[in-house]
Formats: sequence, structure tokens, C-alpha cells
Amino acid sequence: MASTACFIIVSRNDIPIYEAELGPAVKKEEAAHQHQFILHSALDIVQDLAWTTSAMFLKAMDRFNELVVSVYILLNPLYLPGSRITSSHFDTKVRALARKYL
Amino acid sequence: MMDPMRSLLGRVLLEEITPVVMVLSTPLAEEACRKNGLNFVEMLLPFSVFNKIDVPVRTASDQPYRLQMFKLRLVYASDIRQQDYKVAENHLKQLVSDAANAALSDLQSELPQLETILSETELNFSPSWIQTFNKELRKSVSFSEHEAFDHPVACLFVVSSNDAQPINRFVDLFNTDQLPSLLNDGVMDPKILKQYLLLHENHDGTMDRATGILAEMKSTFGSIDCRLLCINSSDGGDGELKDNPWLNVKAHLSASHEIGSFLNIDDLIEIKEFMQELSSKHIIPYMEQKIRFLNQQVSATRKGFRNQIKNLWWRKGKEDAPETTSGQMYTFSSMESQIRVLGDYAFILRDYELALSNYRLLSTDYKLDKAWKRYAGVQEMMGLAYFMLDQSRKDSETCMETAFNTYLKLVPSAQRNATRCGLWWAEILKARGQYKEAAGIYFRISSEEPPLHAAVMLEQASYSYLFSRPTMLRKYGFHLILAGNRYYVSDQRPHALRTYRNALLVYGGIPWNFILDHVHYNIGRWYAFVGVFDVSVKHMLEILACSHQSATTQDLFLGNFFETVENMGKIFEVNKLQLPVVNMSSIQVIYEDHRTYASFADLNVNENLWKSLEEEMVPLASTIKSNWLESQSRLSLKKYDDSHVCVVGEAIKLDIEFRNPLQIPISVFSLSLICDICEKSKETKIDGGTSSFGFNDIEELKEAPSCRSRIGDVSNLVLSEFDLVLGGGEAKRIQLDATPKIEGVLKVLGVRWKLSELVVGYHYFEPNTKMKHKKGKRVARNSSGGILNFIVIKGLPKLEGCIHNLPGTTFAGDFRLLRMELRNQSEYSVKNMRMAISHPRFLSPGNLEDFNMDFPCYLEKQKFSKSMEAPANAQKFKNLLFYFPNDVTIEGGATFYWPLWFHASFSGKISLYLSVYYEIESCSSDMIYRTLRMHYDLEVLPSLDLSIHIAPCPSKLQEFLMRMDIMNRTSTESFSMQQLSCVGDELGISRLPANETISPLKVLHAGQALSCFFKLKDCSKSFEYETGLAFHGKDEKLDAQGNGKVLIDVSRSPFLEFHQQERYHQGKTAEGGISNIDFILISELHDSSSTGLHPSILSFHACHCSITNEIPLWWLMEGPRVMSHDFSVSFCEIDLELTICNCLNAEVSIRIITNDFMPETKLSDYLISDSNTNQGGWHNVSLANDIKEISNVQGVQSEKLSSSSSQSISPFIWCAASSTSVKMQPSSTAKVPLRICIFSPGTFDLSSYELHWNVQSSSPSDKGRPGDDAMRSSSGMSQGHPFYLTVMQSH
Repeated sequence: MASTACFIIVSRNDIPIYEAELGPAVKKEEAAHQHQFILHSALDIVQDLAWTTSAMFLKAMDRFNELVVSVYILLNPLYLPGSRITSSHFDTKVRALARKYL
Repeated sequence: MMDPMRSLLGRVLLEEITPVVMVLSTPLAEEACRKNGLNFVEMLLPFSVFNKIDVPVRTASDQPYRLQMFKLRLVYASDIRQQDYKVAENHLKQLVSDAANAALSDLQSELPQLETILSETELNFSPSWIQTFNKELRKSVSFSEHEAFDHPVACLFVVSSNDAQPINRFVDLFNTDQLPSLLNDGVMDPKILKQYLLLHENHDGTMDRATGILAEMKSTFGSIDCRLLCINSSDGGDGELKDNPWLNVKAHLSASHEIGSFLNIDDLIEIKEFMQELSSKHIIPYMEQKIRFLNQQVSATRKGFRNQIKNLWWRKGKEDAPETTSGQMYTFSSMESQIRVLGDYAFILRDYELALSNYRLLSTDYKLDKAWKRYAGVQEMMGLAYFMLDQSRKDSETCMETAFNTYLKLVPSAQRNATRCGLWWAEILKARGQYKEAAGIYFRISSEEPPLHAAVMLEQASYSYLFSRPTMLRKYGFHLILAGNRYYVSDQRPHALRTYRNALLVYGGIPWNFILDHVHYNIGRWYAFVGVFDVSVKHMLEILACSHQSATTQDLFLGNFFETVENMGKIFEVNKLQLPVVNMSSIQVIYEDHRTYASFADLNVNENLWKSLEEEMVPLASTIKSNWLESQSRLSLKKYDDSHVCVVGEAIKLDIEFRNPLQIPISVFSLSLICDICEKSKETKIDGGTSSFGFNDIEELKEAPSCRSRIGDVSNLVLSEFDLVLGGGEAKRIQLDATPKIEGVLKVLGVRWKLSELVVGYHYFEPNTKMKHKKGKRVARNSSGGILNFIVIKGLPKLEGCIHNLPGTTFAGDFRLLRMELRNQSEYSVKNMRMAISHPRFLSPGNLEDFNMDFPCYLEKQKFSKSMEAPANAQKFKNLLFYFPNDVTIEGGATFYWPLWFHASFSGKISLYLSVYYEIESCSSDMIYRTLRMHYDLEVLPSLDLSIHIAPCPSKLQEFLMRMDIMNRTSTESFSMQQLSCVGDELGISRLPANETISPLKVLHAGQALSCFFKLKDCSKSFEYETGLAFHGKDEKLDAQGNGKVLIDVSRSPFLEFHQQERYHQGKTAEGGISNIDFILISELHDSSSTGLHPSILSFHACHCSITNEIPLWWLMEGPRVMSHDFSVSFCEIDLELTICNCLNAEVSIRIITNDFMPETKLSDYLISDSNTNQGGWHNVSLANDIKEISNVQGVQSEKLSSSSSQSISPFIWCAASSTSVKMQPSSTAKVPLRICIFSPGTFDLSSYELHWNVQSSSPSDKGRPGDDAMRSSSGMSQGHPFYLTVMQSH
């Protein structure tokens, strides 16, 4: 699988509320901003696609060279706009899942 | 959908796919042109475009149509070849570099708003040089072998009239050596249209010679194809051309005035006519003719079913031939080449239908031949033809895609062709509004091209995203960044900077921190590179506080920042520098006006607390604000509603938190406040009031601190400076001082610091910042300016003070002497001192003599001590106001001590507040007085629980039994009991049993409980008779050994004061109403205590103990106890007397009923039901076992009573009346005589009588004590007390 991955949860108005650099590859300095650029620009596609499909999982809806962007469109009615996900437990879980599947 | 001709692509095609005219000229002809600063081709260039040529054209069909716009491409024969890759590359690079200068000048301008961008068209918005770049890029693949539209249609021979033997020159020019390879290699037909031009310079004056030559030419080459062109009619110099046509075309030629300087208007007209004739009379007809001829041929050999079958058959035969892309197999004479020429000519003459049908025919052939490059070229043209026909969108796209992909398969040889095809394709998509798809094409091109070209392509991709609908701004930004990155790689930093800067439109202020850092860092870096340091630093500042980056990156950013600032070469002042971060909400301002504080911790106390404490102490007028200044003061306070008052020479302290957001340590120098001070005289001149005052401040706050020149005189203001090093992520609280040295107005505006020698950070306090002002509520209203304004006045000297040896933690009951220290460090002496104490129950001011005494010994009970009565003032139980003696003053420089008595009255957390008021001798200052506020928190741990239960003695009047229950509530401490005193003169106390010591109980260990019994005796002389009992003191020593310990006189100060406090406070909670029986238990912490707490003595006060009594009566049977009687003579008659005492303040009627038998059941019922009620006098009973203990005792008592009564028979009878009624006045005593008759000797219990009592509730005095009354029944019956009488038989 991919040697590097980035997982971001974005709330309304493009505000990233959770970020995790994942994957077994050794972290490069550029990786973080490159991933952010790719994911941020992919939001343009999401914005288009979200209204044309009822699917919540948009697999490989955008790509940049060998990096593929897949998106889940979800809705949390209990989310307080503007707040960030700071739970360390959640972070641990995400990283554990990444280790398992990436 | 717009007309394809009018679209950008349409216009480009009309301009670029045009007939090529190959020019061959002699050196002399060129020389003639060069006088005008032009070569021959350049000279003709402005006239090779015809916007309204309006010629009729007839190609294959019979229907003629008219061409409007037409263009010729004049190219020197030497240029008719494919450009060298390197040369082309350098040319493109130069083009981009030239544009870089424009990019740099653009950088000064403001970034446009998104709305204005979107209202523009793409063509206007994207830099114009990009189109030029695209054109040049396409040009680099022109004159290829596999395409025919670049092949010269005609050949123009130019010979000067000055040439010797001009006819021969014409012939020489068409020498095969000079012809381009296309013609030589047989790719194209060498038999092309030839035109002969004789160039004549008019000022040579030999017009005759020229016409001679022309005639000769006409005879040699044919009259139609020869022409004379006269130029250089002007003698040059004065530049008579009004609108020089070359200026637009050759803008890059520097000396513009020299261009065309020998040409006059007649020359221009002649050139124009020549060109018009060339195109309309020669080239277009030639092409028409050629199209018609080729079309005939194609129709004959290829059209029709038979020809197609034949063609297929023939092609099949060639299938085994090796695959080739070189195209060598197709010479100009081959059918395929001819079809291509037909198609291209038709395309040029805009017969797209004809072109398309031929391309289609050709594409199948090439596909079958596997001539892929040619196939792709034809597909490309098909796509364009479809587009120009505006018929099938899908077809044009399919063709372009096929062409593009086919070219890509042939990389590297056809890579540039792929690029050209991609550019066409993208333009097609854009013309149809498919910007998003176009962007994708540009992106695909970019991956094939070298970085510089890729950058331009990516930039175009970004514009496509920008102008796609809906706008894809994020993609726009991302592709700009990608483009910028490529520009940077190919060493085009101005362009990189330009694209990154434009990307800020998308990325400015978004919460994607890594993106922001990347963009700002690079923009900053490149601005520094182009030498615009101020903007560079501005961007660098954005990324300084990058807590999310790794330490290396942070180090890099910081290093770059410092380097840039150094390059700027001047001190750089940054508003709101993020290194370190100033926590504005953490700011606390500490200043002292007339209210001063012993320590900073005292500042956290609510001002209202202090106010209520000082309410009585400070002069009444001070509550009106304007009066803390003297009336003669010229400062009008109303003007400075927002200001606060501070005192000359006393520091205003600002407590503020600085945090390092980075993981690397940073050091900060010269951290200090930014302050302004105006002298008093200046300020009084300002008449404008607050409004103008506030306005100035806002103006000032825009400036950097160094611009602020008003802090002229350093001696007026002393600011503290701090240096500190903040480790990674560390936050530190710093206290900054500003000490005004003159009277006037001090404004604290902000804080400044140095990050390096050149970097100065500052942070002004903003109006909306909520600062915690530590001085009263007035300050919170400081909203108008937000700036801290202080009126600096000449104040009173400030006293400093503290209380020594006040424990932080102690046990309840702790009793000790404290020392309050007051230091006066000024030169003036202070007087009129007062002190307010919040908890007089805990603290009581003593007398100066108390210091000289040895505590606690001096409290030793004197033999003739006189009890003092302090005036009970209800007010003082809340806050105590203490006036120091009038002669108490504190001289300047002196230290003053005053004793304070401390008594830990109850357990819990207690905050003690003290405020000392003082004035000075000669009041010349603006203040009348100042106060020193002290605040101490202490924790009082529970130690001993004391409860007292008093019950009347059943056998004696005026005597009471008292049980004292003590519970040690501590877990480690042991206490030794010292003394129990009964307060007041009315009661004496003695231990029960009388002479026994309680030595095993001397020490009460942790968790233990102890009950002691005492006898109380009423010593007041209100009763008429004396008892035989010995007088006991009102103090009882509990320490059996009595080893030198003395009794302490509790009736003296300070016990007296504290006891009154206790009485007051316990009285509020006591259940049984007010009574006068109070006890003080004095104990000592046992020596073997484990903690460090060593209170010398502990005193416990149990107040308002009442006598537990079920009935309102005491009575006593009196009479002989032992007597002898001779029963043989008669029965025995004995007189008894019952003394009854009404202890109610009400009238009581009593009935005494004597019984000769005992009503057992009734009695026990009564007692048991009554035993658990009427527990008056018990308080603080909190432990369950305590209660149990009590009820046990009660139970035993009742059992005894019932058993004794059950045993008694009735060997006697009551004489006289069986019922006697007595009415008793309030608090009176009555005596009732009783008599019994006994018939035999023995011991008798004379308790078989009952007292029925009934309280007259109508009594008016009842109303005075309703609480007392409620505790008791209004009527009831009591069984008589046991009275044992022994009668013996006398002989």
C-alpha cells in the first residue's frame, strides 16, 4: 500500500479540525505541506461531486501524480462549528488503524 | 458558444496557419533595407496582414466565397527548417526572463480582489506574454516534414537594382545550395510559385536603370511575376513617418526613430500595394488552382468505391514493410503527400469541409501504414477542422485526444508536437467553456516539458481553474504554487514570486498551517532575493510562530528572518511580534493609590470586601470620589474619569505572561513597558477634555515605539528592563515596572522587547482587551481608550507591614500572641492610625504592654482579681475598628510593632483581612490618608469538640450536675486538659467525685472521647439559705499533678474579648436560648505531638449552656432522715416540708397529690417518652456514639427509678389532705408542709407523691421569652424524688 498518507477531517469553510500524517514511510519535511496542498485543492472536486451523488464515499476522486485522494462526506449534527478534534484517544485510534491497514 | 473564428483559437489559427512565402534576397537588397534598421522580411512584415482583403475564392466546389482576413508569412529560405532544440529553448527562456521584469514591477501593486478578477476574461487576466510563449513554443515545431501548411507556397526573389547583372542574380538565388532541405530532400514539390522583385533605392536617382532591368526581367521570367519596388525615397533623418507601422510589430527594437527613417509615405503605399497584389493576384489564385488540380487527382484515384477497394488492397500489400516514422516513404509526389497538401491548402483557404474530407481519407491510410507521427498530425488537423466547422464537439475532442496520445507515444521525437497539440486542444476546450478539462490538459503537458515550460503550462492550468464555472479557487491556488515551484527550479524567481503572491488570494489566512507556512516562507525568501526586504520581512513574520513545525524548520524560519532583517540594515520594529506571544488576557495591572497592600497576593481580594471593612475607618467623604484629592489641587478629577491615581515614586506593576510558541529556545532582551508621561503643568492646559485626549492616543498607537519622541526626559520615568530566555514552549510571567518621578499623567501604552539587536517587537494594549485591574471596579469601565492612564500625584509615604508568627495551619482553639510589624521607610512620620479587622473572633488588638509579659503566665489568676466588663457593642462583632492610642506615631524610617491576640475560634478555612489607616503630620500632598491592607489565609483544623450538659441535682436546690464530653477530633495529636472555668461570678464548679483526680484522663489521645462530671453550685446570694457544702472556685484545674501550672484568669483581656465574641456568635446558633452559663476549657497540645504545630495553649468556649430540665419546677423534700419511735405506743407521725421553686418567669399552679401506692407503668412511660426530648444545653453533638452514650445514661436512670419504685410497698400513709394546690408567682419559692404516718419500723421511700403543674399561659411575662417557653410543656406531672426515711424501734 501507500508508503505515505495523510488523514484530515475538514469542517465547514475548509477548516481542518483534525490532521494526521500516516504511513510507514519516513517523514519528509515537505510531505506535510504537500499533502495539505493536495487535500485542500481536492476540496474543489468534492464540492462539485458532493451534489451529484448520494454516495458518501468518493473513492479516488482526485489525484496528484501517484497520490490519490478519497473522501468520505459525513455530517455530524453534534459538531460545534469551529472546534478542533483534540482527543488523544481518537488520535491513537486513527494511528492504530493506519498501522493496521496501510 | 461563440463563433469559432472569433474565439482565441480561431484567431490564432487564422494567424498561424497561413501561406509561407520563402524569401531569397541578395546582400545588396538587404543592405538597402538595413538603412531603415530593418531587414527585408521585417520591412514587409506590417503589410503582410490583410484585415479586409475581401477576395473571392473558389476551391473544389463551384460556389465561390470571400476571404476577409488574410495573412502571409514571409520567411527567409534559411529559416525554413526546424529550429534547433537548444536555440528554441534559449529563445523561450529569454522570453520568460524578459517578462520577469514586468513581473517585478507588478509586485509593487496591490493584489486584486477576487471579484474584480472574476469579472475579467481569462485573456485579460493572464499575463500577455504567456500567449507569446505558447506561440513561440508552437513555432519551434514548424516546418516539420509530416505537415504541409508550413511548406512555402511561393518563393520571392529579391535583387537590388544596384546589383551587377541582376538577371543572373535572380537565377543564382534559385541555386539549390541555398534552398531549404524540405525542397532538396524531396519532401515538397520544388516547382513552386516564383516571384521576382527588383528593389530600387529612389534617392540613387537612377530610376531609368531600374526600369531597364525590370523590362529585362519581364522578358526573362514572364511579365506577370516580375515587379519593381522603390524604397528609400526620403533622404532620412527627420523621421517624417507619423505612425510608424513597425513600432507595433518590432517593439523590441530599441532605436525606434531610426526604423523606417528613409521611407516616406509613398514608399509605404508602394510596399502595401505590392503585398496586396502578391497575395490576391498570385498566391491565392495559385493555391486555388492547386487545390482544384489536386482535388481532381484525388477524386480520380481515391474517391469512389472502386478506388477505395483498390487502395485497401494495395495498402495490405505494404503491411509487411517495416514500421517507420521518418516519412521517407512519402515523397512530394506520393499520393499521401498530395492529399495532405490538398487538405492543408484547403484549411488555409478556410474550406474546412474539403480539408476535413481529405484529412479523414489520409488518416485511415496513415493508420494502416502505421505512420504514427503523420497519423497524429492529420488527427490534429482534423480536430482543428472540426472545431472551425463547429459541428461535432465530440469528434474534435476525440481527434485531439488521439493526436495527443499518439504523439506522446513517440516521445521524445514528437514530444513538442504533443505539446502543440495539447495547446490547441486546451484552447478548443476553453473556447467551449470547458475550463476544468483544459486545466487537466495543461497539467498533462506540464509533466512532459522541462521545468520552465511546465511552469508556464501549470500557470495556464491555474487560470483555467480560476475561470472555470464554478470557480475552482483551491485548484487555482495549488496550480499557481506548482507553477511557482517550477519557475523557482528553472531559476525564474520573479515569476515564482509572482505566482506565489497571486496564490495568497486563495491561501491568505486559511487555517491550513503548513500551506500558509510554505507560501509565506517562500514569498518572504524570494522578496529578499529581489531585494524588497520590507515586504519580505512582513511575510517572514507570518511564519515565526509556527508551533506545528519541527524544530529544524522553526530554526530555519527564524534564521531566515534574522538574515533578512540584517540585510535590511536597520532596526526593524514589529507590531504584535509573535515571538514571544504576549498573553493579553493574562495582564494584571498593580498600582497603589491611597490603598496600599502588604503583599501582591492581597490584590486578589475583591475590592468590595475591603470597602466594607474600611467603611467606618476611612473618612466618610472619601466615598465621594473627587475627594481624595485636596480641594486646592488644580487637577480636575472629572476630566480623568478613566484614569487611576498613583503616587510619585511608586512603581506601577504590570504582570504579564510571555510564551514561546516554538520548540527552540528564544532569548528576549530589554523587555519593558511603553509609557508616556506628561507633566502636570502641561496637562492642565488641555481644555479639550477627554475626547481630544483619547483621540491622540489612538493616533499614536499606530506608530512604532521608536517614533514616539515624547518620552524625552528619562528622569521623569523609570522603566524596568528584563532579559529572559524562554525554552521551547515555555511560558513565563514577568512583572514590569514603571515608576513615575514627576506629577502629571502617566499612560501605559504597551510593551516592547528586542528579539535581536535589530528586531524590536512591541505590542500595544488594545482597547477591547480585558485587563485585570487590581484596583477597584472603576477601572473596569476603562473602555474609551483602553490605555491605562494614571494621574500621578504626590502621595503619602507608604507603610509596609506584616504580621509575624501567624500560623498558616493551626488547631481550633489555638490561642497566641502575634506581632504586627509596620515599617515606615519615608522621612515623614505618620499618625492618626486606625485598624479594621474583619474577624474579631480570631484577632483582637492587644496593648503595647502585652509584649512585656510572659504569655501565658501573666494571665495567672490573681487572688483578688477583678472581673472586667467590656462594653458589649453589637457592631464590633462584625468588623472590629480599633483606634491606636493618640500618641502612637511611626517616625520616618522607624519600625513599629503592635501586639495582636489570636484565637482560632472555629475550624475551617478562614481569610483574615486587616486594614491600617494612617495620615501624616503635615498634610501637603494630594492625599489625606492611606490604608495598608493585609490579608492572610489560614486553615484551622478541628481539635477538640466540647459539649456540656447540665442537669439539676435531684437532691439539692442550687446545685447542678454537669457532664462535659470532650472528643479529640484530630488523628495524630494528643491534648492535655488544663483548666475548666465557668465564666461569671454566679456559679462555682467542683469536680465529681470531689477529691478524685482524673489523672488517667489527663492526656486525651487522638480520636478518644472523654466525659467528666462536675458539680455546679449557684453562688449568688439570691437564695435564702446556705448549704453546708464547701465553696468551690469557679475554675477547676483538670491537671491532677498541678506541676507548677497555674490557673489562668479567663476574666481578663484578651480572654474577655474573645469570650464576648464567642458568646455573641454561639448565641446566634444556640438552641436553648440565652443563658448565662458559659465555660472555657483550656488545654494544651501534648508534648509528644508529631506535627510541627505548637500552639502554646488552646481555649474552647462553650457558651449559653442551659440547665436541662423537664419541668419548670425544682423541689426538695426536707425532713428527718433517721429517727426512733416506739411503735408499741403509737404509730409514728412525721412532719415533712416540701420546698418548691418555680424557675419560670410565669405563674404556675401546682397540685401535690400523695399516693399510698405507686402507679408504676405510668411513671416509666412518662420518663422514657421524655428522655429524648428537652436536650437543652447540648450543642455541637455530631458524633453518633455521643448520642448513644447519652441515651444509655438516661436509660439507666429510668430503670433505677422504676425498679426502686416497684419494690416499695406502702407501709405508711400520707396524712392530711391527699391533694394540695399551690399557686406560685414567677421565680418564687413556696413551702408546703406534708405529714406521714408510719406504722412499723423500717426504711421507707417517700417518693410516692406527684406534682401536677400547670403553667398559666395568660401570664403577661410569658411573652418576653417565647423561645424558652416553647421548650417546655405547659402542664405536666412529676413523680417525687426518692427520699429515704429510716425509722427504728425505740426501746
